[in-house]
Amino acid sequence: MMPIWTKSGKKHAVTLLKVQDCHVLKYISKEESGGRTPQLLVGGKNASPFSKSESAMEIFKEAGVPRKQKISTFNVTDDAIIKPGTPLYAAHFRPGQFVDVTAKTIGKGFQGVMKRWGFKGQPASHGQTKTHRRPGAISTNKAAKVYRGKKMPGKMGNIYRTSFGLKVWRINTKHDIIYVNGSVPGHKNCLVKVRDSKLPSCKDCNKNPPFPTFFADGDEELPEDLYDDEVFQFTDPSVTYA
Amino acid sequence: SCRISSDGKPATFQPPPKPVIIDKQKQGLQRRFLSPEFIPPRGRTDPLKFFIERRDMIQRRKVFNIPEFYVGHILAVTTANPYASEKASRFVGICIQRGGKGLGATFVLRNVIEDQGVEICYELYSPRIQAIEVLKLEKRLDDNLMYLRDALPEYSTFDVNMKPVSHLEHEEIPVNKLQVRMKPKPWSKRWERPKYNIKGIKFELPEEKMKEAQKWSKPWLEFDMLREYDTSKIEEKIWREVSEALKK
Repeated sequence: MMPIWTKSGKKHAVTLLKVQDCHVLKYISKEESGGRTPQLLVGGKNASPFSKSESAMEIFKEAGVPRKQKISTFNVTDDAIIKPGTPLYAAHFRPGQFVDVTAKTIGKGFQGVMKRWGFKGQPASHGQTKTHRRPGAISTNKAAKVYRGKKMPGKMGNIYRTSFGLKVWRINTKHDIIYVNGSVPGHKNCLVKVRDSKLPSCKDCNKNPPFPTFFADGDEELPEDLYDDEVFQFTDPSVTYA
Repeated sequence: SCRISSDGKPATFQPPPKPVIIDKQKQGLQRRFLSPEFIPPRGRTDPLKFFIERRDMIQRRKVFNIPEFYVGHILAVTTANPYASEKASRFVGICIQRGGKGLGATFVLRNVIEDQGVEICYELYSPRIQAIEVLKLEKRLDDNLMYLRDALPEYSTFDVNMKPVSHLEHEEIPVNKLQVRMKPKPWSKRWERPKYNIKGIKFELPEEKMKEAQKWSKPWLEFDMLREYDTSKIEEKIWREVSEALKK
């Protein structure tokens, strides 16, 4: 995470996400998937092909791509279908766009009710006998049972969570890095799924994105760093208020 | 009449000894200073992140000059302020702490203005800073002067209109071995404890208190190998990279 300043002098915290060896693996039609839209399987970081069975490696062999560590599905419209085997780059996203990031949260192991659900516990003194971090009562008398989904101690973390509506401030095309506003679930160097935001307030934020994706062998020559309009670039002189 | 030397021979002309020219500029270049925020902290972060951050820091340093300074120097910082009358505010103070790594590096300046102690924490790479001038170069015995909050206010007062004291580039930065006198206890932190390792306070506490404070000493810490972080090689590499990039 890094600070980033806008032209008005305000500071925002930014997370860096690296797009490492992303390829489109497979196209799943609407009838096959059973959903409302066709789907595209995309694979992330490269990994060794020797620790998986032959059946699992079939998808990678058909696409002609080394084995990937993370595979995720994206629901795509009909006009955005890409041929399996095309590489995807960070330039697929543009600064000023809004993005949802999904990842597995940091695993905390078996945790008590105060850390897991934020219960208040009991006072430390004034006669409390062996009760300082316990949940207290778990149901009423009339219910005569404990409801399903009662908040109790258990394994915390290591589940998929999404942060919605994160603004993209800057993109580095040479090293394939996306600078995303705020924090993102997951630990350092974890694998993450980045997708266009589905929030209704961010529907019209995407102006002229590369459609269906940014092709590296195309005619477009992008500069190494793409900035949002409001970002203060370090080549400019210091900010002054007129 | 010519002087006759002890040998009895007439004195011959002895040319004066040749002057030895010490090129102090070359000697000064031997002192390399790398700002502490360039050194990456120990962790599992990808080195690519530090490389990209360093590129941004160097880019900012090319446009705006950040002088070499340590804890104990007296600095004057002008920042852009939309609410000030001239849209710029200037603050003079002694640097008591330098924290943070990378682009978020900060330094805290302390001064006592009209009997009120004021500390301001500035970000080195913030675009709102317009100028940083070093008014007086002087290192202190410690890396962290937070104890000035519990010292007598005279040690933290500096004249706001102080003129910059001239300092030649090649000279070593002088170390001020000032021992500061403190206000009566209680202090914000127990500065006499060995954990803070402060050499710049003149402790006027009785001997028993000083002995009691030594009870919290942890002499095994200096032999702990897992805590060692040798930055000499990393520093060399980064210093070469930074100085080459700044020369361009």
